[in-house]
Amino acid sequence: MRQASRALLAVAALLVVAVPTLAQGQPDVSIGIVKETAEKFDVLVGTLDVLSGGMPAVDAATAIERTVARDLEYSGLFRVGMLESQAETDSLRFTYAIRGSVEGPVRDADQTGEVVPTTISLDLVTYPGGQLLLNKRYRPLPEQMRITAHHFANQVVEILTGEPGIAMTRIVFSRGSGDRRDLWVVDYDGENLMRLTSNRTLNLCPDWKPDGTEVAFTSYHRGMQGLYSLDTATGEVRQIIAQEGLNLGASWHPDGRELLISLSRAGDPEIYRVSADGDIVRRLTAMRSIEISPSWSPSGRELVFTSDMTGTPQLYVLDDVGSARRRLTWEGRYNDSAEWSPSGEQIVYATREGNLTQLVLIRATGEARKLLTDRRWRNCEDPSWAPDGRHVVFASDRTGTFKLYVMDVLEGGVRQLTFGDEPDITPAWSPR
Amino acid sequence: MKGYGRTPRTMMSLLLLVGTITWIMLVAGCGGGETEVETDPTATGGETEPAVETVPEPIEPEEPMEGAGMGDRDVPDYSTMEPVEYGVEDVFFAFDEYDLDESAMATLARNARILKEHDDVVILVEGHCDERGTVQYNLALGEKRAKAVRDYLISLGVPSNRLRFTSYGESRPFAMGSNERAWAQNRRAHFARP
Repeated sequence: MRQASRALLAVAALLVVAVPTLAQGQPDVSIGIVKETAEKFDVLVGTLDVLSGGMPAVDAATAIERTVARDLEYSGLFRVGMLESQAETDSLRFTYAIRGSVEGPVRDADQTGEVVPTTISLDLVTYPGGQLLLNKRYRPLPEQMRITAHHFANQVVEILTGEPGIAMTRIVFSRGSGDRRDLWVVDYDGENLMRLTSNRTLNLCPDWKPDGTEVAFTSYHRGMQGLYSLDTATGEVRQIIAQEGLNLGASWHPDGRELLISLSRAGDPEIYRVSADGDIVRRLTAMRSIEISPSWSPSGRELVFTSDMTGTPQLYVLDDVGSARRRLTWEGRYNDSAEWSPSGEQIVYATREGNLTQLVLIRATGEARKLLTDRRWRNCEDPSWAPDGRHVVFASDRTGTFKLYVMDVLEGGVRQLTFGDEPDITPAWSPR
Repeated sequence: MKGYGRTPRTMMSLLLLVGTITWIMLVAGCGGGETEVETDPTATGGETEPAVETVPEPIEPEEPMEGAGMGDRDVPDYSTMEPVEYGVEDVFFAFDEYDLDESAMATLARNARILKEHDDVVILVEGHCDERGTVQYNLALGEKRAKAVRDYLISLGVPSNRLRFTSYGESRPFAMGSNERAWAQNRRAHFARP
C-alpha cells in the first residue's frame, strides 16, 4: 500500500513538473520571437529513500523531490527527468543526478504536540558515475520542506554555474481595482501568496530594498500621494516622503541608502535622489516635461528614466549627478517602465505598438532592440528582472484581466505566476 | 445659457450630471421607501411587545433633518457634498493630451463661477487617464491634467488655497470597456471632496 501511494504521489509530482514544459509548447503561450537555445544540464531527480517515519516522511520526500525538480526546471538551466518517468528518462542522457534520504518522524510519534524535525540528506552526483559533488543535511520542521528543497536547488545551481539560484526569491505586486489596490507578495514559484497592506486605498509600484528588508511603494493618504516603506519582517509601514504632487516610481540604489524617485514639487515631475529617510539628496533633472520611471544601473553610477521632452515618452540614461545625458530609444513613440538588468548589460522596458503595450529588450548601449512579446499577449507592462538576469516578471491582460507572468528572456518560455479575478500590476522581483 | 455652442462632450458631462442627480433622487427615494417598509411590519407585527421597539425606529428618519437644520441657512452645506452635486462638472481631454480645449475651458468657467459663489469649499482636482499606456506615465499625465485644470481655475479667480490636486492615472476609470467611448469618458479631471 505504501508503494502504491508513493507511486501515485510521484505521478502527481510529474504532472506538476510537466506543466512548464507543456506550456512552452502551446503556440498561444510561447513567445516565438526570442529563440536561442542555451546549453542545459541534464539532471535526474531520483526518488529519495525513506529510512523511517512512515507516511509523513514519504509525503515530505515527495514534496522535496517535486520542489527541487520544479526549481531546477524554472531556473531554465536544466532538463529535468524523474525516475518514474521512463519515457522522459529514456530521452535524456543524464550528466547529473540528485539522490538522498529522509529519516525520522515528521511529527512526534507520541502525539504530545511537540514537533520533531526530520533529517534529510540530499546529494548531487555525477551520473552514471556517482561522484559526489554536493551533500547537504537538513533538519527541517514539517512546514519547512519547501524551503529546504529551495535551499538545496539554489546550492545545485551554484555548484554548476557559480551563481546561486533564485528559488528563494519573491515577487511583490499590486492587486485590486478601483479605489483599492493592495500590495501582495508571492514566492517566485507561485506559492505562499500573502497580502501585505489593507489600508483601503491605492498601493502601487513597489521596489525591494537590495537587502530585502523593506519595500518602498507609492500610496495615498487623503487623496494625496506619498512614498512609503514597508518592513517585510514586521509589516510596519513608514512614510519616506510625501510632497505635493507625484511621489512615484521608487528605485533603490544598490547600496540601500538612497532611492530614485519622481517628484513634481517643482511643477513638473522630475527625478530626484532621496535618502532612505526621505531627505532630498540631489535633483537630477530640470525640464519642462514629464520625467519619471527611474531605475538605477547595478553599478549605481547611472540611471535610466523616461522623459517626454521631445513630445513623446522616450528612455534616457544619466549619470548619478544628472549629467552626461544620452537618449537610449529611437524607435517607438511611447517607451516607459525601463529596468536595468542585474548584469548591467541589458534594459527591459515597455513600448506602445498601436493601442497595445509590449515588452522590449535592448542593450544598455541602445543597440539590438528586440520585441519580447506580441499582440497575442494584449498588453504587457511593468517588467522587473529576477536576480539571475534571465527571467522577467510582468503584467499581461491576455486573459482579459492583468495577471503576472514570468518569462525566460533567453529562450522565450513563459509561465503564469498569479491567478484569480482581480487585476495584478506593477510587480517587483526580490533580491536573492 | 448657450445652447448651441455645446460639444457632444459637454452634453455627455451634462448627461452624467443628470444621471448622478437621478441616482441621488433614487437613493433618497429608496431610503424613504425602506423606512416605510420597516415601520409597517412592526406596526402590524404585534401590539404588546413590539410597541417598545417601534419607539427608536422613527428617530432614524429624523436625523437627516437635524443635519439640514444645523446650517441655519437656506443653502445646503456644500463642504459635506461631492462637487458634482452642486453642479461642478468633469472636464475631458484628448488622447495623450493635457491641454484644455474650448469645451473644457467653457466647463471650467461655469465651475469657477459655482466655486466662487461658495467660498467655504475646498475641492480636490483628480486627474484620470484611459487604460492605454503605462501605470507611471499615466499617473504623470493625470497630474498634468489636474494641474492644468487647477491653474485655469486659479486664473479665473478661484483662490489657490481652495484647490488641491492629485492623480489616479488609469486606476479609477469612470467607464469600463476597451473602446474609444469608454476611453473618452475616462480621460478626465474630476472634482471631489478632499
